[in-house]
Amino acid sequence: MAEAMTNLATKNLSESDQGKEIVSSIGMIVALISFGMLFATLMMGFAMFRFTAPVWPPDGMVKPSLFLPSLSTLCIFLSSLSYIWFEKNIANKKGLILTIVLGLGFMFMQSLLWHQLRSQGIFTSSGIFPSIIYAFTWIHAIHIMAALGLLFWLLFFALNKINTKALLLASSVGKFWHFLGIVWFIMFLTIFVL
Amino acid sequence: MAFFEQHIHDAPTTFLSKYVFSFDHKVIAKQFLWYGIAFLGLGGMMAMMIRWTLAFPGEPFPIVGHFLFPNTNGVVPPDTYAMLFTLHGTIMIFYAITPILIGAFGNFCIPLMIGARDMVFPTLNMLSFWLAVLSAVILLASLFTPLGAAAGGWVSYPTLSTLIGSPGVGQTLWCLAIFVLGASSTMGAINYIATIITLRAPGMGYFDMPLTVWGLWLTAILNALFLPVLGAGVLLLMFDRVFGTTFFLAGAAATTGSGDPVLFQHVFWIFGHPEVYILILPAWGIVSDLLSFFSRKPAFGAKATALSMTSITVLSTVVYGHHMYTTQMSPLLTQSFMMLTMVISIPSAIFFANWLGTLWKGSIRLATPMLFALGVVFVFGLGGLTGLYLATVSTDLYLHDTYFVVGHFHYTMAASVLLGGFAGTYFWFPKMFGRMLNERLGKIHFWISMIGLNGVFMGMMVVGYAGMHRRIYNPFVYEFLHKLIPLNMFITYSAIFMGFGQLFFVYNFVYSIWNGPKATQNPWEVGTLEWTIPSPAPHYNFDVIPVVKCGPHEFANPNLKGRDFQYQTEELA
Amino acid sequence: MNLYSLYMKFFVISANASENMSLWERMKPPVDISTNGHLIDSLFHLTTMLLLFFMGLVLLGLFGFSYLYHNKRHPIAHYVHGTSKKHIAIVAAIGAMVFIMVDMKITGISNRDYMESFAKWPKEDKDVVRVQVLGQQWAWNFRYAGKDGIFNTEDDIVTLNDLRLPIGKKIVFQVTAKDVIHSFSLPNARIKVDAMPGRISKMWTELTTTGVYDIVCAQICGTFHYRMQAKLTVYTPEEFEKWQNEMSERTKYVMEKDNADLYWGWKWVANN
Repeated sequence: MAEAMTNLATKNLSESDQGKEIVSSIGMIVALISFGMLFATLMMGFAMFRFTAPVWPPDGMVKPSLFLPSLSTLCIFLSSLSYIWFEKNIANKKGLILTIVLGLGFMFMQSLLWHQLRSQGIFTSSGIFPSIIYAFTWIHAIHIMAALGLLFWLLFFALNKINTKALLLASSVGKFWHFLGIVWFIMFLTIFVL
Repeated sequence: MAFFEQHIHDAPTTFLSKYVFSFDHKVIAKQFLWYGIAFLGLGGMMAMMIRWTLAFPGEPFPIVGHFLFPNTNGVVPPDTYAMLFTLHGTIMIFYAITPILIGAFGNFCIPLMIGARDMVFPTLNMLSFWLAVLSAVILLASLFTPLGAAAGGWVSYPTLSTLIGSPGVGQTLWCLAIFVLGASSTMGAINYIATIITLRAPGMGYFDMPLTVWGLWLTAILNALFLPVLGAGVLLLMFDRVFGTTFFLAGAAATTGSGDPVLFQHVFWIFGHPEVYILILPAWGIVSDLLSFFSRKPAFGAKATALSMTSITVLSTVVYGHHMYTTQMSPLLTQSFMMLTMVISIPSAIFFANWLGTLWKGSIRLATPMLFALGVVFVFGLGGLTGLYLATVSTDLYLHDTYFVVGHFHYTMAASVLLGGFAGTYFWFPKMFGRMLNERLGKIHFWISMIGLNGVFMGMMVVGYAGMHRRIYNPFVYEFLHKLIPLNMFITYSAIFMGFGQLFFVYNFVYSIWNGPKATQNPWEVGTLEWTIPSPAPHYNFDVIPVVKCGPHEFANPNLKGRDFQYQTEELA
Repeated sequence: MNLYSLYMKFFVISANASENMSLWERMKPPVDISTNGHLIDSLFHLTTMLLLFFMGLVLLGLFGFSYLYHNKRHPIAHYVHGTSKKHIAIVAAIGAMVFIMVDMKITGISNRDYMESFAKWPKEDKDVVRVQVLGQQWAWNFRYAGKDGIFNTEDDIVTLNDLRLPIGKKIVFQVTAKDVIHSFSLPNARIKVDAMPGRISKMWTELTTTGVYDIVCAQICGTFHYRMQAKLTVYTPEEFEKWQNEMSERTKYVMEKDNADLYWGWKWVANN
């Protein structure tokens, strides 16, 4: 919040705008904590299976290759960077377009991953490990698609006028996008790498 | 924190924008109130059918039985019985208490009591209500699926709730309904938290907030933190049912299968124990305030009460294991959960002492809201103390899953919350609708409810200790329970008595909305901010945002002339 | 059904059901047949006493203050915030009193009972009766090791809804479930444990009284949950021996490894 305050101080916003900025960032932070609890629960479930299983992955499975998940990670990392670039000057929409393209790239990698798993004969019902991979990536992907929807909305409707409201929207959507990147990174590390 | 004045928009004019898709927190509060009361009635009817079945097994349910269950000559069939107790639990917790206590009073009281013009995110607020409606539609639709609604208990433990135990669509719809409702409540919670942090009137510190707002705030925090946990749980359960994942499906007997049904129990109770406090915290807040308001005396140790509620909120997140003693966790876990659970009694004792301290040397006015508030002190005392039996692991080995548990949690969650909700309804009705409820009918309603619910829930604890298990369609197939037939009949008669008593409330409520005597601005002579504006509260509440200069419970100050209370906007006399 | 028949019904049933029991009799838990059941009963009674004491205090405050300080009798309230040192000390003392008098006491007792009785598994090398329990929708399967003392062999004794146990010996159950979660509950021995698919939970008891008692499923397990009833017959050790011999001779357990319904036993999981 202190950061938000200093940001605003440099932008010389009116007092009412300052209030709105703080409100929207508080709202977004609380919302992200809620989303975080959802993913934390999933990770808790994963941890429980992971640590009680004598061998991991169980049922004689092998881990999927790291190639596609690594590409996904790269995509979402770069998209977060491009969004930060976009937030520096939201009049310039190139950063936003780049973020959307990289986000779509991430979804493409994910669908390739699901396709690859299926072609290897690994289905949701094949055991707990594929259950975890499919369910967790699906839940994450639904959030990514919602976030992509928000990004499109920013691109086509919300930024027509560059004013405080647009700035606030961009910053809130950005928080959500970075959050999803972090969640993916944790999933990548725990489910695919470790 | 930076307070900012919300802009005043014009009042909506069309019917749709005024009463249906309204952004106004007061209208949304009323919508939640009606929604909750409707489901309270539905859940109550289900309770009647359950009680009828337990007291008169094999007898047709009176009046509507033949219409509802034509195949069995009006007798509630066993599969329907399972659906009834499942839906009774689900509806009462998620569709009756949550909307009334959190949806209605949260929306109504928070902005009014902290001096704000509306919630900070009005659109989110509206969305929250309409998602709740969507969720209710999904839940009710599940009743009409071929195999009926969910029938795995409100906890819906797998593997009974997976395709193994309940193949119908009903259980899937149940999961979906709970997920949507979770999203709705989380939205509400985000709104409440942000509103209370940012929109408190200038001069209002956290300890100048009425305790009602404290209770609602803590509830909102728990909601925002733990509803997503349940969301994740039911989402995975839904995946198990729809996509064939195996999170909660263990292999055949005694082989190590891939999933684990106990994981769901952990997830459910990580949410489920805070949920108990989610429901009771607003009631505690309301009661703490009302005791002070009607004792005409400052709330005794208001800060300590608020801090006790906060510490209970914190503790509630780490005690959930006492719901799972019989699943045989490691002894170390069992011991620590027992110890942590017991610690909750310290803050509880502190605020009970504060409640009684508020009454001490007051000048008590026994108006209807006060009667209900005193009723909460009584029933929550019993409910809290009977929790001791269930917190200690050895007695829980015997009492777990018996009617004793049912009696206990009805005392805490149903009786206390219901009485607290009624107290709030009687108290804020003038501000909501600009009319007064009838005091005489209110008092009759109180005594019938009080006597009835004690008969029901005390009776439940008695039959539970005598060995009757929960969720049993016909307990009398067991020989050792035959002696409980008269007791079960007594419980059912009490329930019917209490159920009919609610008609006094319904009549009083509906009649008074249009025909009650007009309420003055401050009928209860109370100093919190909502009573500084006309009744019913006008569009956007406060013309000029008030400046707060003293606490919410300033009564009986000897320096006051002519009246015994002062408004929060006045300098402390 | 009219009110009259309802009224008749009330008296007819209560006359039939349990031969003029007093209310007090009806409120009592089922007869205790185990060596540890009294621990639970006595803790229950102690907690009840504490409950009555503290509830008495609350009621004294509630009704006493409501009467004494009713605005007719006490028109002017005292201007007290309860923030003075004295008041805080009193409230803190009440909190501490509850903690010491109630929490410490019953937690201590319960912890002792749990660790030294209910969760203290009998040594396996001693003379114990071992039973495997499998819950299914809606019946209880019981399996005794038979003569060779090894489970899942051909001389196992397998029964359905019929558990027979001796008095005077420690009995160890290993419990699991086939389909959904059940809970193996012996109300007369005051204990229960959940039967969960994929996990083996255990429970032990020692019985003291012969007779026939009810076994209940305590966890909702589907439509006919209420019918998931089994009988517990408690024998003297001699009778139990005799019954076991009879069963071994009469039945031959067929090992059909492909038939999951019949082949459900498991190797006894040794205690550690």
